[in-house]
Amino acid sequence: MLKATLRSFLAHKGRLALSALAVVLSVAFVSGSLIFSDTVTRTFDRLFASTAADVTVGPKQDLRSPVPGGATLTVPADLAGRVAKAPGVASAHADVSVQNVTVTDSRDRSVGPTTGAPTIATSWHLTDRSPVELTSGHAPRGADQALLDADTAGKKHVGIGDTLTVQAQPGTFRVRVVGIATFRTTNPGAALVFLDQATAGKQLLGSAGKATSISVEAAPGVTHPELKNRVAAAIGSGGYELRTAAEQAKSAAANLGGFLDVIKYVMLGFAGIAVLVGIFLIVNTFSMLIAQRTRELGLLRALGADRRQVRRSVLLEALLLGVVGSTLGLAAGIGMAYGLIRLMSLFGMNLKATEMVIGWGTPVAAYVVGVGVTFVAAYLPARRAATVSPMAALSDAEIAGVDKPLTGRAVAGAVMGVAGAAALAGCVAATKAAPAAALLGLGVVLTLIAMVIAGPLLVRPVIRVLGAAFPSLFGSVGRMSQRNALRNPRRTGATAAALMVGLALVGGMSVASASMSASFDRQIDRTLGADFIVQSANFSPFSADVRRTVRGTEGVGLVVPQRITPLAVRMPDGRRVQTAASAYGPRLDDVVHLTYASGGTGAALADGRLAMDAKFAQGHGARLGSTLPVEFPGGKVARLTVGALTNLESPEGFGTQGGIFLGLGTVDKYVPGGQDSVLYVNAAPGTDAAGLRASLTSALKPYPQLQVRDQADYKKLVHDQISVLLYLVYALLGLAIVIAVLGVVNTLALSVVERTREIGLLRAIGLSRRQLRRMIRLESVVIAVFGAVLGLALGLVWGVCGQQVLALRGLKELQVPWGTIVAVMIASAVVGVVAALFPALRASRMNVLTAIAHE
Amino acid sequence: MPGRGTVARARGLTKAYGTGETAVVALDSVDVDIARGRFTAVMGPSGSGKSTLMHCLAGLDTVSAGQVWLGDTEITGLKDGELTRLRRDRIGFVFQSFNLIPTLTAAENITLPMDIAGRKPEPGWVDQVIDRLGLRDRLGHRPAQLSGGQQQRVACARALASQPELIFADEPTGNLDSRSGLEVLGFLRSAVDDLGQSVVMVTHDPGAAAHSDLVLFLGDGRIVDRMERPTADTVLERMKAFDVVRGRLGDDAVARED
Repeated sequence: MLKATLRSFLAHKGRLALSALAVVLSVAFVSGSLIFSDTVTRTFDRLFASTAADVTVGPKQDLRSPVPGGATLTVPADLAGRVAKAPGVASAHADVSVQNVTVTDSRDRSVGPTTGAPTIATSWHLTDRSPVELTSGHAPRGADQALLDADTAGKKHVGIGDTLTVQAQPGTFRVRVVGIATFRTTNPGAALVFLDQATAGKQLLGSAGKATSISVEAAPGVTHPELKNRVAAAIGSGGYELRTAAEQAKSAAANLGGFLDVIKYVMLGFAGIAVLVGIFLIVNTFSMLIAQRTRELGLLRALGADRRQVRRSVLLEALLLGVVGSTLGLAAGIGMAYGLIRLMSLFGMNLKATEMVIGWGTPVAAYVVGVGVTFVAAYLPARRAATVSPMAALSDAEIAGVDKPLTGRAVAGAVMGVAGAAALAGCVAATKAAPAAALLGLGVVLTLIAMVIAGPLLVRPVIRVLGAAFPSLFGSVGRMSQRNALRNPRRTGATAAALMVGLALVGGMSVASASMSASFDRQIDRTLGADFIVQSANFSPFSADVRRTVRGTEGVGLVVPQRITPLAVRMPDGRRVQTAASAYGPRLDDVVHLTYASGGTGAALADGRLAMDAKFAQGHGARLGSTLPVEFPGGKVARLTVGALTNLESPEGFGTQGGIFLGLGTVDKYVPGGQDSVLYVNAAPGTDAAGLRASLTSALKPYPQLQVRDQADYKKLVHDQISVLLYLVYALLGLAIVIAVLGVVNTLALSVVERTREIGLLRAIGLSRRQLRRMIRLESVVIAVFGAVLGLALGLVWGVCGQQVLALRGLKELQVPWGTIVAVMIASAVVGVVAALFPALRASRMNVLTAIAHE
Repeated sequence: MPGRGTVARARGLTKAYGTGETAVVALDSVDVDIARGRFTAVMGPSGSGKSTLMHCLAGLDTVSAGQVWLGDTEITGLKDGELTRLRRDRIGFVFQSFNLIPTLTAAENITLPMDIAGRKPEPGWVDQVIDRLGLRDRLGHRPAQLSGGQQQRVACARALASQPELIFADEPTGNLDSRSGLEVLGFLRSAVDDLGQSVVMVTHDPGAAAHSDLVLFLGDGRIVDRMERPTADTVLERMKAFDVVRGRLGDDAVARED
């Protein structure tokens, strides 16, 4: 039996190759993402562990915000002196390091990284832990000298003697590059500017007496936790946060983690899609192999093999496929990780490919995924193989299972479909976002399963309609291709299912994203009253000089700044709500339209007041006039009075809760040193918009990170951001399509083999090669379009239901992107044409005489 | 130039498989003329080359040497596309089995060569053929719903429908019971007598050959004899003589050939 299995595996290796490719793809993505993230984590763990001081003393950070506020928390520089006196301390040094700077060269071009990695301005203090060393020039001395890291210098063509402009929170200043520092370890991709200690404190933090942290080195024999305790005892831990080297490395790695997690999840998303679609391909391949071998299996049964042996033989074949696919996939995954690492270094993150980490978990995951998927997918076909009767060896049955009734499927599909539809209806009817989202998820899964099960039942009615025009358009070639697609509904259904899954996701996401764009457009139309918005490309806050510059620009009438700060409000119901809140300058009404339930802008922005969403306030027991304790960064607590309640369409999202906002004056009082994130600008009377834009643009030339946008630009910005999400989905779709194409190729190739005699006959009576190819191509197209129709129909339903969830979060517009839908439909037809290339070529190359004589 | 009475003709037709010592000569410099408007049978024992001769005359197979004409057209040296068009427009085929496309109805199978060519069938003619073959009430059926005899009649109808210059029938009765076989042979006969068609039939059945006007006997890749106005008995006698001459192959070997 084993020998027979092995023979069969080798005999069908061509057929299995495409299934193996699906396994290879999914395993490659799984192992590639694991290797990549392991490598990156190891690299940065090493970097941070080697560069962290034994103990670091920093300001307490109890409020974290996903939105940068621009204010830097500080410690007094002379704290280093107090720390140094603690027992067990060998040395203590005050460091200054800020990320809220923009550095430009003499031609007003930013020298910061273009990848979203930060520009860091820091004090130059060389220790044996420093990640950099001075490789040319000399250390910075005095207010106008700086070092630049070698990678940035090389990329941005800055050399010793060049002048850089640094926009820092306290103000803008110029420095001359006097030396180049080179990374001794992995460069995480940031741009670094080094200043001397006093200059850094004064220029970056506003006072030479300030620092951002104190690095403490232990005396010999003192452990890090011991040192931490002793320092804490010496300075009183109340206002400070102390971290050992290990803790510091961990938190630094966690900060970087967000970005790495995105890459990891994207890769795992690809792996998931590959697994999901791959299952269909494998199920179909095994089903077809077994159908083709019905007689052979019948013979085995007639010769005395029992059902279990037949099943086991098929599963063993699956196992072999899984092992081969996983091994190749693991190799491909290593290649993929290598490619990603090289890609990262193009973006400035210099990882060393030679230090690739392949943990024991990677091969385990690879084989579990690869073998598991194949095994699960082959299980049903294997069971079906076991039910082949010994009579099959004798009968001349064409293909088993073709005419078996689909009643079981119809019942199961209908049950799943009804349950799924009920869940989706529940989602539409829900009034709260969280349960609606849960119902949506359930409905999506159930309807997808229902469609997969019921797919073969839909083959006849849908393809009759889809191919209805074929006979009149393509004559008998069209007629035969349509009927060929109808010949084995199970096979056609399973082949199209792979494409359906991918396109359903795309359909749903495109409706959701189009609706989001439309909703944001409407919100922008309704709420944004400013002529122009000044904002940086990545929403990071900017220097106070900008506000002065804009105010001083000719034609500017009104400037309303917006600042973001994290805060925590203790609501009357006892809940502590931590959120990012906006602080606005006066005359907000002239640039933003808000609708109030009670109170107004004046009361909302007055000193000691705040405003929040009416529904949110009600939910937490707050009323107009309630006085609430509000914590600000740095530990300051204020008691603020609710001055106004608003009716916002989307009080949540982007890290905010409750739509809380307050006056800039109030925030300035409790969080000094913040930076503006947005400036709303109105033209002075008599100034036209085009003129104002031109003068603003030229006035802001020294600030390359800032953009001047009007409403249309702002909409485009929002659309672009939604598009990024969409591109990711399209990439996922691309992979799904690749695998679906493999499935169509597989099905067609097998059909061509099965129909060898028929093809021979057609050729004998005068069907040309070109017509034969067209026949196969049309069959392929009709299968692909069938999959697309099911997928997009499902996706549209998902999208419309998903929009209901968005509507509960304030995004109320529903928009169906018909253009995209039509384009996807056309693309799926093209996919069909591509998938048919190889099978059609193969069919047309058949020798007529051997084909007719084919048994 | 081929004579007016010749629909197909071969000169020095040679077909060899393989090369060198392992080469097998299936046709050895055959000269043959197929008369227009007649029913010609090709007989011979297994391996005599009769099927190869038909394949070469019909443009299904390439020749090793020699020339083949269909009407005035020399078909040796034609490219695949030209051969395909020639088969489609000028030749009709009836094979032993698997003659019909399973997805198409009888009517669609009958007009398939013309549909492929994008030509409109001549309605009067096709109707005449359908009625003559008694297929009027079977036109909407798929091949799987037809008996073997009916399927073969549909195949005959298809071969006739496009009014080809020459119809090739390869063991058309091989898979049929004797009654259906006789029916099919009757239709081929009447296609020649009443409709003026030319038919070449390859067969190993003396009874079938007896329906033809002329029997060509093939042996070892050569035409060894010809018999006008054959009867089943005379053909059988001739075949037996064949076996005596060859001295190796028995009746059963002949019967087994297909």
